[in-house]
Amino acid sequence: MNREDLITTEEICIRYKVEHQFVSSLFESGIIEIVKIEEVEYIPQEQLSEFEKMMRLHEDLDINMEGLEAISHLLRQINKLQKDNRRLRNRLGLYE
Amino acid sequence: MEFIDYYKLLELDRSATKADIKKAYRRLARKYHPDLNPNDKDAQMRFQLINEAHEVLSDPEKRKKYDEYGKDWKHAEQFEEAKRQQTASGGGFGGGFGGGQSYSYSGSFDDDTFSDFFEQMFGGRARAEGAHRGRHFKGQDYNAELQLRLSDVFESRKHTLTVNGKNIRLTIPAGVENGQTIKIKGHGGPGVQGGPKGDLYITFNILNDTSFRREKENLYSTEEIDLTTAVLGGEIQVKTFDGRVKLKVKPGTQNGSKIKLSGKGFPKYKKPNQFGDLYVTYKIRIPQDLTEEQKKLFQQLQKTGL
Repeated sequence: MNREDLITTEEICIRYKVEHQFVSSLFESGIIEIVKIEEVEYIPQEQLSEFEKMMRLHEDLDINMEGLEAISHLLRQINKLQKDNRRLRNRLGLYE
Repeated sequence: MEFIDYYKLLELDRSATKADIKKAYRRLARKYHPDLNPNDKDAQMRFQLINEAHEVLSDPEKRKKYDEYGKDWKHAEQFEEAKRQQTASGGGFGGGFGGGQSYSYSGSFDDDTFSDFFEQMFGGRARAEGAHRGRHFKGQDYNAELQLRLSDVFESRKHTLTVNGKNIRLTIPAGVENGQTIKIKGHGGPGVQGGPKGDLYITFNILNDTSFRREKENLYSTEEIDLTTAVLGGEIQVKTFDGRVKLKVKPGTQNGSKIKLSGKGFPKYKKPNQFGDLYVTYKIRIPQDLTEEQKKLFQQLQKTGL
């Protein structure tokens, strides 16, 4: 992974005005990935939208970490089911 | 443009307290939040309306204006003026608002995320004044799947996709892989509260319509060679993805042996003019239905101890 694709957790905390504990908890819950290089923690850029989503849910809806963990898991399942559904519909379209 | 009953939207009655409003907003926002309803336009629209209702009802000044003029919001200014005049002349206000015009509420939010009703009543600036809604939301990300044949992605080609009724013409780079997802920035749903548009994610479903097996940028194939060529060596023509090439076969080539044709594989994704390799496995064809003469020759070979 290139360094350009990584953002330090410190920068994330400043930019989004969140506690480092929140970022760490998201990592510990397996919701986002954190990469450690020479004692500096980074979030891969591709994880940013997931982080933002969790932050919005936490702030807008007062959802705690356990809730975020459950939501993240269910959203992944929804995503997968929607993908499967699209694929099957596409395949079905070939025979119609 | 029609009157929107914000109380009804939040399932509240007019005597609702600030705490009731907050509670109702939280409950409905949890139900319709765009992050919890991926790819659901209805939920997104409901969420915008709920936000709008919360924006108005949680702000005492806006709520007062809304409660006071309600359906007649459009004539609020006239009403205020008339009230001032009536007060000055000492008479009672007997006007009413007429309102012979008919309006239709489009329900479309597009880039502007507040309803026309809200914009008219509180003005465009109101959105920035909202205590809670200061933050912009990126629009919904869209997901689409594009089915292509392997031969379609050997070269970069332009494709037209229809996403939510809009045609998007894009170049699919050569070498995309089956199951790979690419992001097209800004082609998703409209942003909320003036936020940026969402992105479009396209996942490729690539059907292999060739005899080659592909692993990333490398291709694998099997080529049959006849027994004599395998034993004595010779020249054969091997099929590659973009044509045939002549190849020398070493004498004594074994069944199942592999050769590598460098740079004859699949294009590397987003690396122009770079290709993987083609690995060809030889399958030696054992002759069947020999003529009498051929049989004799084989028997002679056998006698030599071969």
